Amino acid sequence: MKSADHPKEGPSLAVELGALKLRNPVIAASGTFGYGEEYASLIPLRSLGGIVTKGLSLEPRRGNPPPRLAETPSGMLNAIGLENVGLEKFILEKWPFLRKASCPVIVNIFGNTIEEYAELARRLADVEGIAGLEVNISCPNLKAGGAIFASEPRTVHKVVAKIRRATSSFLMVKLSPNVSDISEIAQAAEAGGADAVSLINTLIGMAIDLKKRTPLLGNITGGLSGPAIKPVGLRMVWQVAQTVHIPIVGMGGIVTAEDALEYLIAGATAVQVGSAHFIDPRAGLKIIDGIQRYLQANNFPDVASLVGSLKIKKDTGQPT
Amino acid sequence: MKTKIKEAKAQIIRHQRIGADSFRLRLRCPEIARLAQPGQFIMLRISEQSDPFLRRPFSFSRVFPPGEKKKMTEEDGILEICYKVVGRGTSLMTRLKEGQQIHILGPLGNGFWAAEGRKQAILIGGGIGIAPLIPWAEKLRRGLGRNRASRNLNEQSAVIVIIGGESREKILGVKEFQKLDMEPLISTEDGSLGIPGMATDLLERELMTRGHASIALYACGPMPMLAKVAQIADQFDLPCQVLLEARMACGMGACLGCAVKVREEDSLKISQPPADAAEEKILFTSAFAGDAIGASSESFVPDVSQPPAFRYARACKEGPVFESREIIWE
Repeated sequence: MKSADHPKEGPSLAVELGALKLRNPVIAASGTFGYGEEYASLIPLRSLGGIVTKGLSLEPRRGNPPPRLAETPSGMLNAIGLENVGLEKFILEKWPFLRKASCPVIVNIFGNTIEEYAELARRLADVEGIAGLEVNISCPNLKAGGAIFASEPRTVHKVVAKIRRATSSFLMVKLSPNVSDISEIAQAAEAGGADAVSLINTLIGMAIDLKKRTPLLGNITGGLSGPAIKPVGLRMVWQVAQTVHIPIVGMGGIVTAEDALEYLIAGATAVQVGSAHFIDPRAGLKIIDGIQRYLQANNFPDVASLVGSLKIKKDTGQPT
Repeated sequence: MKTKIKEAKAQIIRHQRIGADSFRLRLRCPEIARLAQPGQFIMLRISEQSDPFLRRPFSFSRVFPPGEKKKMTEEDGILEICYKVVGRGTSLMTRLKEGQQIHILGPLGNGFWAAEGRKQAILIGGGIGIAPLIPWAEKLRRGLGRNRASRNLNEQSAVIVIIGGESREKILGVKEFQKLDMEPLISTEDGSLGIPGMATDLLERELMTRGHASIALYACGPMPMLAKVAQIADQFDLPCQVLLEARMACGMGACLGCAVKVREEDSLKISQPPADAAEEKILFTSAFAGDAIGASSESFVPDVSQPPAFRYARACKEGPVFESREIIWE
């Protein structure tokens, strides 16, 4: 059996997200992989294409009251509330381990104001070894009455441009699916100077306890992830692929290599694996193996030639 | 504490109904049985399909590590878990067949630990919550037996077990404790078995009648019961460990889903340090005499007039066993 530890034989799995080179297109998604160390005893982190760390803010955040999780059909809701250790502790306590992970580590950041985003980007630019930033724009803008950054193209442009000026690092913007036109948002991120976009973040949902007639989540609503959202993610990646020129990192419900391959064919250069790691810590590694086997079986010289290879007949594929 | 975690396949050796809505799974999994400690748990994958999506956490109800000798006995490398049917996942679990292989991840979390300097233990379990206390009783007894100076002490007095439940059918684990030569005290809310009332009433009665100077409490069960046990522990000034149940996704500390509201570490020793020069003095006291003086010094009594400083702990990583006074009971 082929192992993800030896990606050299057979078709090349290497991909490029602008200037960022990955040895394979499978990245562990933010919020599902902790700070890497949680999984390090179970899988060789170096086999992954990359890791995106738990969302980081300037100050530590306590997160939401429990319950924070609810299982839903083929998926789950979470309302963690962006709990994290804060920038200072991240650099002191989490980064030394991650730095030695020997796979690219992308730091996911979020702020309450545009200035906070820029400040995080600036301070992380001084930390050696960080492969890039992923910007979570699915949080409320406190200075704009709490409207979500991600939902307004002009705000997205503004925040991305501000971060772009603060850092020369690889910059990826994570898009929310909870918007009326995700292509517009993706274009705004591109125009603002993003090197890549990643999508989709979770879909906002809720679930109710019928016995108690209470919400299942302490926060009432939460983000839906898991296989249930894959068709939505796939559709959005395909849409965005028609409108931007920067690489796309696709995610949403990827559990198997087949799921990942669909995203690549729809136009994603790489993928992120999230909730699947909760049910199988080896999910990412299995997906890497499966992609390799698919490329081999279908005579693709490399994974890049599969990206965006969706065949559409002329008279179909229009929005319905 | 760094523990080794294994992702392994386990074979179902036995799957038995043990109560009205409760079942026991006996699994062969030497890799995990070798490492497993009472109070720790596994994440069990119910289905290879994507629905139900998440694994489920279950504490060990018995652990038989592989023997050190070459020959394997039938019980070597065996784990047991007990579960109660409460939802879709656990009702699907009832369909698991003997001989079938399932994926488990473990051992996870921190188990029980022997409370320092306590010669007697009271274990109190409500309903299915009694299960993880069985291997702990076994281990405690062995440990206490070894450490005891006098051989004349009645062994039975070292570990007292209290089991509570709504009714006779909800009382689990009696035979298991009897096999360990322990006769559990039983209470049922409807009086159909043992003493009528709550398990916590029985606990209070035991503490009143017995001297309680050297007792430690270990509890698992529904949250209201645990909150009451914690309150009793405070009242009698006893160390108390509680095993908490929480919804979990990863079980390894990555998802931050299984949050438990706990006191900020500092507030355990000093609930509200005064903002003047006295602060330094109290910090000094706590650092050098805190452990020795403990609750006998007034400055260490938590200030209940103000809400304590809190944070969210991960039940899977920092627990699932907590000291009861760490928890903020709501």
